[in-house]
Amino acid sequence: MSLEDRIEYLSPEGWRQWQLELLQSTLNRVYQRVPFYRKLMEENGIKPEDIGELEDLKKLPFTTREHLAQNYPYDLFAVPLRDIVRLHAFPGPKAPIVKGFTSRDLKALRGLTCRFLTHCGVTSEDIVQICLDPGMSIWIEEIKEGAETLGALVIPPDPQSAQDRLRIMHDFRTSVLISTPSYALHLLHYMQKEGLLPPKSLRLAVLVGEEIDGQNRLRLEQAMNLNTRLGYGITEVIGPGMGYECEEKQGYHLAADYFLAEIIDPKTLRPLPPGQIGELVVTTLSIKANPLIRFRTGDLTQLLDSPCPCGRTTPRIGPIVGRCDGRLSIRGIKISLDYLEELLREVYHHLPAYCLRIKRHHYLEELELWLAINEQLFEPSILGLHRIMEKFQHRFNETFGLPCRLKLVEKEHLDAFAQGQKVIVS
Amino acid sequence: MLRIKNLHTSYGAVKVLRNISLHVAEREIVCLIGANGAGKTTLLFTIMGLVHPNAGQIIFQEQEISNMPTPEIVCLGISLVPEGRQIFYPLTVEENLELGAYHRRKNDPKEKIQADMEHVYQLFPRLKERRGQIAGTLSGGEQQMLAIGRAFMARPKLLMLDEPSLGLAPRLVDKIMDTILALNQEGLTILLVEQNARRALEIAHRGYVLETGRIVLQGHTQELLTDEDVRRAYLGRDYQKFTD
Repeated sequence: MSLEDRIEYLSPEGWRQWQLELLQSTLNRVYQRVPFYRKLMEENGIKPEDIGELEDLKKLPFTTREHLAQNYPYDLFAVPLRDIVRLHAFPGPKAPIVKGFTSRDLKALRGLTCRFLTHCGVTSEDIVQICLDPGMSIWIEEIKEGAETLGALVIPPDPQSAQDRLRIMHDFRTSVLISTPSYALHLLHYMQKEGLLPPKSLRLAVLVGEEIDGQNRLRLEQAMNLNTRLGYGITEVIGPGMGYECEEKQGYHLAADYFLAEIIDPKTLRPLPPGQIGELVVTTLSIKANPLIRFRTGDLTQLLDSPCPCGRTTPRIGPIVGRCDGRLSIRGIKISLDYLEELLREVYHHLPAYCLRIKRHHYLEELELWLAINEQLFEPSILGLHRIMEKFQHRFNETFGLPCRLKLVEKEHLDAFAQGQKVIVS
Repeated sequence: MLRIKNLHTSYGAVKVLRNISLHVAEREIVCLIGANGAGKTTLLFTIMGLVHPNAGQIIFQEQEISNMPTPEIVCLGISLVPEGRQIFYPLTVEENLELGAYHRRKNDPKEKIQADMEHVYQLFPRLKERRGQIAGTLSGGEQQMLAIGRAFMARPKLLMLDEPSLGLAPRLVDKIMDTILALNQEGLTILLVEQNARRALEIAHRGYVLETGRIVLQGHTQELLTDEDVRRAYLGRDYQKFTD
């Protein structure tokens, strides 16, 4: 058995030693090389030497998404810029969030994606069709590379209708579908509406980016005659493969050789024991370019205490039950209201009263932004009003890779609809 | 097999090792790389009990050894091939090897010790040819072979080697590295300290990078060989260019 295969079956003592070593060397590197972390640790009177046990992690301060934006562009890198071979930029309200990768990081990430896909049951014999929105470009890229490394045939998501995608699925005998749960359900709905049979070759759906409830999952499995597996990842931290279901389908196994997971109470910020729902906090252990210490993910979940029947000894978390940072997850793409408001201010030079409506249309989430019309937004001609709406819709799509329809309504109408809420799910 | 946790060692007021944690699993070759003065030798000396740590744990086969005297540590199964060989120059090759098995004289039958000596001669036929020669008159490479052979005579479970390639011609370095690999394939666990990072990483399974007494990086050797920091600091930045 190779080290890569053995790693998931380490003894509890083995894991403690392995993670402690990685944590200590990560802290030694960030203290020496990342000005932001050095300052943060000095302010809190902590040196890397003070971390002698994994439990000592709680002495360290948290990192938030605001920190990532504040330290744009260079202050979070732990390697010289010339060592960085890929740079991703995520939209942020004040400044973009950038994440760099050294070639070692990319290799590790590919290894992790391969592990994730292998555990889901993808092999070199498979034909993998990825159906994800452009807003999930990092997922698309990583999964594509991971599946290619495994030797599978990969069909990346070029812009296509559901009809065309199904046709490709039939004609090229796709065996693995990788999409968000909502898109898989949307495809199923489309097939049923059009009286199409699911492709016989399709045997597995790997669902990422969102959660799916048990009932819909069963429906998908039965109606499409396939197996499903779920995957979890946060692009700002590591990416796909951070969590994956094993054959037992009892929560996500975490890649504990890549990061340390804690669950904290988002209000008191104290660590919570297994079984209690709280915010997932992640410390990277093997990232070189952009290591993160106690990064608050905003995802609400719980650590599962009982050993998994599959025999793997990696820690597990339950499903993501919500978010505690006010961000919305639409088709796997994270949208913050702060950023939405920033965009409105940027486009219209003021912040009109608004309400974001999330509609489900054939299982796919659609966004509609209701704006209270006022003097600054008013134009006497229909064409002028269209132009005003178009401006925002274009800017939104450009930022998030998702369409959002704008609707101008009277203030009274908006108030009656929103009833004080900024987001309405209908 | 060997597990070190939060080890701190200092020479007087000078802190040499700071919060070192590492492990060596059975049948593994683990290498430690780092610049001069990073603390590599001190770490080996601390494991051997030649230097006492200020804090931390050293656990060998589930037994705490950080405050044990060196002879007991040797009896438990750890041997060190020190830097610069440090063989007994006035004694013959065979006498040097016999001294390697000194602590076994009471418990192990003579035949067994003799068989181990034959094994060393098999590994290094050159030593057999020179078994009666005074060790001080051997060449550098032969002395290194003798130092490894002597450590092997203690029948260690963990063999630690400090700079075994130092000052040797490239062909001899190959021979020494091949022997280390062969010993590992026979089941011996190895902790290797080397300045010749490329050679060490080529034969080891995992590696740790030590910098001013701290571990700053670790990983599988394949990862370390392609790591930008390791390449720059220990493999020579443009190495690839002039060799390819």
